[in-house]
Parts: sequence; C-alpha cells; structure tokens
Amino acid sequence: MRGKRRVLILDDEPIVCERLKPALEKSGFEVETYTDSQKVIDRLVEEKFDVLVTDLKMQGPDGIDVLRFAREHAPATKVIIITGFATVETAREAMRSGAADFIPKPFKITQLRDLIVSLTGSRTE
Amino acid sequence: MASFWKKVSRERRPEETVEAVRRRIEGLRDLVDKNNEVLELISKAGEMLGGEYVFDRNSLASLAQQLESATRMVVFNLNAITGDRYPELVDALKRADASVRATLESRLFVPEADIVIFLENVGDELSDTVGEKMARLGSLKKIEGCPVPEGFVITAYAGQLFLEQAGIPGMIERWRSGSAAEREAGLAGLSGELRARLRTAALPKELSRAIGKAVGDLRRRDRSAAFAIRSSAIGEDGELSFAGQYETLLGVAAGDVLGAYREVVASLFSDGVMRYRQSAGLDPAQGLMAVGCLAMVSARASGVVYTLDPANPSRRVLQISAARGLGRAVVEGGLPVDRFEVSREPPHEVLSRSVVEKKEMYALGRSGGVDRTAVPAAERSLPAASDEELERLAATALRIERFMKAAQDIEWAINPEGRLFVVQARPLRIMAAAASGRRDLGEAASRYPVLMKSRGVVACRGVGAGPVRVVEGTDELDTVMPGVVLVARTSSPRLAASVAQAAAVITDIGTSTGHLAAIAREFRVPAIVDAGNATQLLRDAGEVTVDAEENVVYAGCVRELLEDQLLRRETFSETPEFRLLRRMLRKIAPLNLKNPRGSNFFPQYCLTYHDIIRFAHEKAMEELVEGHRLMPRPGDRSVRRLDLTVPLELIVIDLGGGVGPADESGRLNSAQVTSRPLQAVIEGLGTEGVWATGPADMDLDGFMSSMTRSQALTDQTATRPDLNVAIVAADYLNLSLRLGYHFNIVESFLSESRNDNYIYFRFTGGVTEMTRRARRASLLRQILAANDFVVGGSGDLVIGRVKKIPFDAMVERLRMIGRLIGYTRQLDILLRDDSTVERFVKGFLEGRYDVVSSRDEEGTERRRLTR
Repeated sequence: MRGKRRVLILDDEPIVCERLKPALEKSGFEVETYTDSQKVIDRLVEEKFDVLVTDLKMQGPDGIDVLRFAREHAPATKVIIITGFATVETAREAMRSGAADFIPKPFKITQLRDLIVSLTGSRTE
Repeated sequence: MASFWKKVSRERRPEETVEAVRRRIEGLRDLVDKNNEVLELISKAGEMLGGEYVFDRNSLASLAQQLESATRMVVFNLNAITGDRYPELVDALKRADASVRATLESRLFVPEADIVIFLENVGDELSDTVGEKMARLGSLKKIEGCPVPEGFVITAYAGQLFLEQAGIPGMIERWRSGSAAEREAGLAGLSGELRARLRTAALPKELSRAIGKAVGDLRRRDRSAAFAIRSSAIGEDGELSFAGQYETLLGVAAGDVLGAYREVVASLFSDGVMRYRQSAGLDPAQGLMAVGCLAMVSARASGVVYTLDPANPSRRVLQISAARGLGRAVVEGGLPVDRFEVSREPPHEVLSRSVVEKKEMYALGRSGGVDRTAVPAAERSLPAASDEELERLAATALRIERFMKAAQDIEWAINPEGRLFVVQARPLRIMAAAASGRRDLGEAASRYPVLMKSRGVVACRGVGAGPVRVVEGTDELDTVMPGVVLVARTSSPRLAASVAQAAAVITDIGTSTGHLAAIAREFRVPAIVDAGNATQLLRDAGEVTVDAEENVVYAGCVRELLEDQLLRRETFSETPEFRLLRRMLRKIAPLNLKNPRGSNFFPQYCLTYHDIIRFAHEKAMEELVEGHRLMPRPGDRSVRRLDLTVPLELIVIDLGGGVGPADESGRLNSAQVTSRPLQAVIEGLGTEGVWATGPADMDLDGFMSSMTRSQALTDQTATRPDLNVAIVAADYLNLSLRLGYHFNIVESFLSESRNDNYIYFRFTGGVTEMTRRARRASLLRQILAANDFVVGGSGDLVIGRVKKIPFDAMVERLRMIGRLIGYTRQLDILLRDDSTVERFVKGFLEGRYDVVSSRDEEGTERRRLTR
C-alpha cells in the first residue's frame, strides 16, 4: 500500500484552513495548512506534496505567484485554486498558469475532496 | 381598490389591453423569478450554516449583495405591476438593507427589543439582544432534564438606552476626537470617568420600572431571596474571548439589583477590558452589555464539570471539581476543592477521587453578597458531592454535550434539597497538543459495517448515534424517545418536536432547504434527507451511527467518530464567520408576515428580506387573480383558445415559449402546447375515466348543456361559467378554472432545477350546501396529502403546496392534478356522507375513477372499469 497522499492548503482566511484540514484528514489525506504564502513556497521546496490548494488574493505572494512557483519547482504537485472573487477571467488566468482546476467559494467540502481524490487517483476509503 | 386590469380594460382599447396585460405579466414573471432567487439565496445561506460549505467573510458579503439586488427587483416589479401602489415597501427594503450591512460591518447593531426577556423565551437566535452567555443559557433550558435557574435578561437594547441617557456616547466621542497619542494617554482616565458616570447616572425610568417588575415576578415564581447578576456582553466574539473580564455579582438582594446592574454594565469599560479590546484590534470604547438576573441557587455544593479531560481527551472521563457552598472556590481557585473523575459510560462510575479537607466555604451572606464561612469540623473531610450526585451530574453534562455537539465546560450547583442546576455551559477548550493527536478516523470507521452510503443529501452536518426508530405516521410521534436515530418517510414539519431531541434524523424524501432541515440545523441534529429508502434499509438496524459529514450510516456505535466531533478545538459553528452568518440570517430569513389576512400584513411590518418578498408575491398574485378576465381576440396570437378532448374550455395566454406557432385557424391543439407544466396537466385531464361524462369529444354547447343539466339538479342561480385561463411560459403555468361552481387556481413552475419547482393548488366553492362542499374539500385534502402536498385551508377552501421536488415527481403530480380537475368537477353532488369521501379518495388513488360515474345506490357493489 502506498503512503498517504499529501495535501498542502494555503488560504489567508483561517476558517478555510480550519474547515478543510479535519475534513480531508478524515478522508485519509495528510494535510498541512498555512495562512502565509511565503511559508508554502518554502514547504514546496522542502518536501513533496501531491496537491496544493490555494486561495488567489493574499498579502505577499498571491495565489497566482504561488501557482507559478509550484509549476516551476514542484511540477508533480497538482494545484487547485479556490477563490471568492470568481470571474471567468480569473479562472482563465489560473488555468493558463497551469492550475489543475478551479473552485469558486463558497463550495462544498465534498466537492473539493472529490476533486482531490480524482486528481491523485487515490481511493476514497 | 380598482385593480390594474380593471383599470386598463376600462381605459384602453382591447388590443392595447392584451399588450399591457402581457407587459404586466412579464413584470410579474420577473417578480416570481426574483422572488425564487431570494428564497434560493436564503436557503443557501441556511445550508451554509449546516456546515457543508467552506466560506469566508467575502462570500458572505457577496451573498448579502445578491440578496439585496434580487429583493430590490421584486419590489420594483411589484410597483411596476400595480402602478406604484406600495411605496412603503421601498422604505422597508432600505431598512432591511441597512441592518444587514451593519451586521456585515460588525457594527454593534441593537435590535429594538423589550427591556427584559425571561429566560424561557431566550434562544440562540436572540444573541444580539441577550448576549452569547444568556442566549446559551436559554438554549440549555430547552434541553430536557437540564435544570437552569429561573431568571430574566435585561437586554442590550435596555443597555443602550442606559448608556445614551448617561451621556456615555458623547464622552467617548470627545476622547476619540483627540490625536492617537492623546487617546492613548487618556484611555485610563476615560475608563474611570465612564465607570463613575454609570455608577451615579439615573437609570431611565422605563428600565427601573421594567426591572423592578421582573424582579417581583421572579420572586413570586422562585421565592428566592437573592439573585446572581451576570454579564452577557454583545459583540464579535461575545463572552468567549472576554471570559471572566466582565463583572458577575452573586447573592444580590432584590433591593440591590439595580445597583448591581449598573456595576455589571460599567465593567464594559474597565481598564483591563478596554486594553484587551485594543490589543485585539477592536475599538476600545465600543461595547454593549446585556445582563442576566437569575435566581441564586443557595448551593450546598457546586463546581465545574468538564465532559472530557482537556489534556488527554482519549481517556474518556469526565472531570468534576466540587466545593462546599458556592462555586467561587472552584472558579476562582481560592480554596482547596475535591476532584473526581467519572466514566463517560452509564452508570458513570467514579474512577478516581481526591477528597481534601475543606475548612472554609463561600456562602450567601446574611445581608447579601458572599461570605467566607467555616465548614463544621465534622463535615470537613466529607466529599462535597455524593456518588449519586456525581452520576446525575455526569448524565446531565453529557446530555448538554450531545446537544451542543462539542465537549463542554459546565458550572453546576446543588441546592440544599439536592436539586442539581446548571448555571453556565461553554465549549471546553481542548489543549492544542491533545487535539492534534488525532487517530486515523477513516481506518477506525472502516471496521464498522456500512449500512448506507452517499444516499440523499446532508442537511445538517455532525455525527450522531443511537437506536433506529422508524416513524411511519405522525400519530406515532408521541412515543418517540429522545436520543434515537429518527428515520421517517417524509420530512413533514410535524416531525419537528421529535427532531429536536433525536441523535440524528434521516428521511426518504425531502430537501436540505426544507423546513425540517432548518429545524435540524437549529437544534444541531445531524440530518440526511432525500435518502430514498432509508426507512427500509434501516428498519431493523438496531443501533447505528449517522455520519452526516461523509454521508455514511454505520452499524453500531462508532465511538471514534463521536469523539472526534467533541474534540474539535472549536466546532465550526463557533467560528466568527459562522456567527456572522447566523447574525446575518436573522436579518434576512425570519418570516414575520405569515398570514395575508393578518393585521400585520403591511409594508411597514416587513422586517426581513423574506417578509418583503412574501408581501410582494402575495400582492402580485392578487393582482393576477383579479385581472384574469380576458377574452381572446381574432388575430391575436398570444391569446388563443385551446382545443381539448375533454369538456374544458381553456384560454391560453402565452408569455413566451408556452405554445408552438399558430396554424391558420388561429386555434390551438394540445400537441402545440410546449409549456411543460401545462402539458402535464393536459395529460392528466385526458386520462380515461376521470371525466364523469367519459372522455367524449364534446363541443362547448354539449359542455354547456351538461352544465345546465347538472345545475337543474340542485337549482342554483344559473350564471354563465367564466372562462378558464392558463397563463403559460415554457416552464410556468398559472391556471384559473371556474368549472361548475368552484374556483380553482393551479400555479406551477417546472424545471430541471428542483429548488425552483413548485405547485400551488387552491380550490374553493361548489354547487351544493356547505356540508357536501366541505366533504369535497376533505377529499381534495386527502388526495393532495397522499401526493406529498402540504395542505391547508378550512371549510370548503383547500390550499395545497408542494415544492422543491425533482422534475419527474413534478410531472407526476401535475398529471395527478389534471386527473383531479376532471374527477372533482361535480363530485360534491355525489358526496352523500363521510364514508363516500373515503371510498372516492381510495378510488382515485388506486386509479379507479368509475366511482364517480356509477351512481347506483349506496352500499351496492360498484362496477369496476379497467383503465
């Protein structure tokens, strides 16, 4: 059996991290959450993650910066963008920059989880 | 009041009338659309509270904006349709907007309220008015077997009146106008001035009067001589983060309540609290206080119980500390106290005990207040609480924990007669390290057999376990015990009372936006709805665990899941975003205008967006019904006569997409109808056997003569039957029928999006005397109820509603209504007694319509026609 799939979550709103972490852990993922984008950039260099879930608008490096960094330095990591400012334009830019998918807030936890499951090819149980 | 339609019919030429009607009806349609959009948004906000969604503050701001603009369109359309008859509704909209915006900006917004509210009338929804602490205490009072002292709350509104009369806002304003350095230097001084002012300023008369009266009422109820005056601050994080910083006074005599009230309000501006606010990035001088006045429990013993060991939750014990006398020894830690650990499993065995020598205790002083007194020498080494009391305490604490869905930190007291009281409960802070040591839940849960998975929709998140109780009819509800997993066929609102006490709820039918789901969320009962055949799957399941997060039902009690729920540092419903959403919903969702004939059905009583759209929708429908008298005119293609195979004359007004292109004749046949709800009704109308006269090709004359014949039977004043009108669009139908002598309205919206779907059925009148008409109404109610309609009305009026059901189920019900229209046309004549009603209901539901046409003598075996 392979080890657990690892998920990295970045959102400057703590509530998003607080909600996603237990829900994804319950589904058998190993989850790290950050509200500071610089820390995520550091973690992407230090270790391998299967999936990065990131918000778009943040202080410091924003979601698109983090996405581009991940594509360059951790190409195996799939990136999912979550944002409350969902316009067709932001979605298009995210996809152009190499995001695997895009989910507007508010979203259902199951929606994100199913997406991660399908991206990592891991079983739900 | 002359309706628009009457006006235009008088004032304009006929061609213009139809065009004007079309325009108005389009306005009406947009109103209905926007009305549905608002309902949808309200439902969605309610769903978000259920916990399945991830959202942040921005999501809430955009939700509020969508609500505001959709509601504005509803108001705009209503005024457009009615010629600006409701300008006051625009004002109501402005008020609603302002209060929602204030909530979003986290300004302290004080709803106007009574000066005092008794605790039994307080719940979570009033936390803006009574503060978090008292709101929670009020909720505890709702829990069966959770005794809370009698008391009342002096509201934040009263607090605001006091602050204003004392001139506090002006003092704060003067301080604020200084430079940053001046403000910093002046903070301590301001704190002293504000408190001094609040201690000496006169209380507004209405306050002292209302409080005095409430104290009198409380003394009559409880006969207690002393009161506990407790702070219950309003605001962003309420009492949670300000714990212990506000004043609470114990043992206050009746005559001193007003003084104690001042003291507690003044603690809003203590130096420490103001510094704390500043360090939390809040305005140091912004604060508002509600104050609880509770009958003081003259405690023989008191203390605190944690429902888990906060340092090591996996030990599965309750921790209880107990002192003689009042609880101050435990809360403030000034005196040695006894400590116990008790099993979480009934009968809650005492696992460990540390009984200390208690030389002193706190007790109510003779002249009020709290004294430190000596414990008699012989009693010093006795435990402060007996094993029996500890067991009772444990059971009560776990009951609260189940209700609150999180581990609890509870203050308790036992009076000299041995009665246990809960005086406070809040979520237990689990130490971060302990909470993070989580086990692999997926693996733990996989050891239990899965009974049901991903069926239906989660309506309220959470985990609950208990024995399955399948409920078939509402008459069984009295026998439903608390703590069961309630499994029901439909999500009837009648289940509400049982839901509140259930460990979890599962229904075969229903939506997460329905009434039952809202109740489940209110009482935080994990709920899965629309699960198809749960009543069958779980019938003999015994004890189950409902994981309404992953949407799985396990056989047995999955302890790991239940515990995990308790350990979350803060359950999601305690986070600031959820509080904000909850506060927002209070300004948006409650419906105060319930009865269109009620004395408050006026724009000025509209408090929420829900009220506003309810009012607008009702008035728009009145306009439509009053204005349906239209005649088709030659050459006009939007108003056409529909040819049917049944004796029903129907004028169809198309709003767009409801009928296909007209042929040369200008007439319309049923194959040309493209309105989906009308199609379904026509299919039902054509069902063989439902028209008493048989599905004959009958022209209008024949129809009329049959009408005349049946009139002759009962000798009613013969009036020309009005035309029947269907206003249609591709997905919309508004059908007004005057068949025989009853008046029937069917309105429906039918689309792939089930949340938009609804059928409204209204039926009144008839040829015969009232008893028979009432019998027909009863028949209709039974048939509608059997088809999942929520049914109302009295006498010969029947109102049935069904909504938010899937496309296919809608089509099926609209066909049923088509059959029903034919079936009931003259039924009242045949309804000789109540047993006939029963037989006809049965016949209809079984698809045997011949009971109507065979008019043999009662009691003889009826001829059965096959369909």
